[in-house]
Amino acid sequence: MMVSRRSLFLGMAGVAAVAGAGGWAASRVGVQPEPPAPPGQDEAGRLLWRNWSGIQTAYPAQRAAPGSEGELAALVRTAPGPLRAVGSGHSFMPLVPTPGTLVTLDRMTGLISHDKATSTAVAWGGTRLADLGAALAGIGQEMPNLPDINKQSLAGATATGTHGTGATLPALHGNITALRLVTGRGDILDCDVARNAELFQAARLGLGAFGIVTQVTLQNSPLKRVERNVWLQPLEQTLADWPRLHQAHRNIEFYYLPFTDMTAVITHDETDEPATVRPPAQDNEALLDLKKLRDWLGWSPALRRRVARQVMSGLEPERVVDESWRLLSNERPVRFNEMEFHLPLEAQVGALQEVIAAIEGQRNDVFFPIEARIVAPDDAWLSPFQGRMTGSIAVHAYYKDQYDFLYQLVEPIMRRHGGRPHWGKLNSLKRADFAALYPRFNDAAELRRQMDPEGRFLNDYLRGVFADA
Amino acid sequence: MTTPLSVRALRGFLCLAFLGLGACGQKEAPPPDAATIAALRPADPRLAEIYAASCLACHTMADSGAPLTGDGEQWKPRLNKGMSVLLKNVVEGVNGMPAGGQCFACTPEDYTALILFMSQPPR
Repeated sequence: MMVSRRSLFLGMAGVAAVAGAGGWAASRVGVQPEPPAPPGQDEAGRLLWRNWSGIQTAYPAQRAAPGSEGELAALVRTAPGPLRAVGSGHSFMPLVPTPGTLVTLDRMTGLISHDKATSTAVAWGGTRLADLGAALAGIGQEMPNLPDINKQSLAGATATGTHGTGATLPALHGNITALRLVTGRGDILDCDVARNAELFQAARLGLGAFGIVTQVTLQNSPLKRVERNVWLQPLEQTLADWPRLHQAHRNIEFYYLPFTDMTAVITHDETDEPATVRPPAQDNEALLDLKKLRDWLGWSPALRRRVARQVMSGLEPERVVDESWRLLSNERPVRFNEMEFHLPLEAQVGALQEVIAAIEGQRNDVFFPIEARIVAPDDAWLSPFQGRMTGSIAVHAYYKDQYDFLYQLVEPIMRRHGGRPHWGKLNSLKRADFAALYPRFNDAAELRRQMDPEGRFLNDYLRGVFADA
Repeated sequence: MTTPLSVRALRGFLCLAFLGLGACGQKEAPPPDAATIAALRPADPRLAEIYAASCLACHTMADSGAPLTGDGEQWKPRLNKGMSVLLKNVVEGVNGMPAGGQCFACTPEDYTALILFMSQPPR
């Protein structure tokens, strides 16, 4: 997300004056109401579950927080199905909703063991990434790549293909060297390239459909400090520089700021420099300032663009040094819905230009930055990064805003460019689409059926994805 | 899980009212420092486990925008809404607060107890 030492649009009074003169009636000024919420309990007294953004809901008959693998295995054998494991509820797709049993691994957290010589560590699947970063730092290790948000659980993040950014860095599941899971029969299996090798390739990004992953072995790196640099530059310059930029930096991404023609480029590179004092995070203030600009001037894209560029021209680049786990993943209190597709790298820039043109031509209400990242390939069967260097494009919508444009405008462009959807983010793909995108999809579906013939882990959505139980 | 939410909310409200009476006439405590906030835990071991797994990540981090544990001033406007409203907001989510507050096996009683813990200044 965009970072600045001070809020983007401190002088919003001037913007308000312009809006007052020209477009008050067409603006969105005022308190935006919360989206309608479903009842807190259903007729049977079952408590509401909602995902982080609020669009996925369920009233599970039972909720369980097992404290051991044995407890979990017993639960899988006896609890009302379907059983769905929830990490932090950050998926926007209906992976979690179940009328049966909702399982959290919040009581199975922390490091189990580690090997200093190989920089590997075994962690419980319920460990949240923020806690894992701190725990690994305590043993001199780090995950070299992390996603933007630090709340996900390890098992939930890897089950959906959560990723960071960097041309030489695979997504989180790409650094899993072994895992342990509880199958639909309640068996506890260890998997790696030698033991249950096919299950390993399917389950390390397994959507919770092959079993509930309890332990993960990670190939980490020695703990390092990184230097983060953030600067603004025109979109045209960033797109022209993108091949050079992603070769030059360990972690790199950029955000296009809609209706500004400007991007925020964010890089992280290893350094021996001492840690700097970290200023208070202002990303969220900057984001809400972009929202204010939309609220006041959304009726006039030309004026919105002019005001944004004028204010941004005074912003200074930011440089921070700290351990990478402290900088790569962050607090994100502004909720949103999101669509992200993973495209062949060579298609990324063209697709992004089309997405920007479509949004700026038809959706003046969009203000959330559009994110571009790069991910190295891996070989997990259901990995969107399987077999190709990937350029990712993510489009967000504030949680109080409509997000239907993602399906209408954005998804067709992504699909035309060969995109594979992030498994946890909005998409409308069906089984046939996945089978066409993933060479081993049918093998994965068959293995899932063998591992869980009764469909203990299949909710309505996953039944549609695998369509075999 | 079968007790109606409204009854539980009433129970929470009564607890809150009791706490409010207990604080009558007392001077407002200054906000605790970051180290104190980070170290606070519920006395009940089970609640402490839930708090550490779910609440602590946001309610001890100023960047999260959540009211900080033990900071009575930040909690006061929330508590003034009444426990039933707070409980509804926790279950349904509001603003930056995701539904359920990242606790997926909590009962309404758990949420009420955790709210009461987080909203009290450290003793």
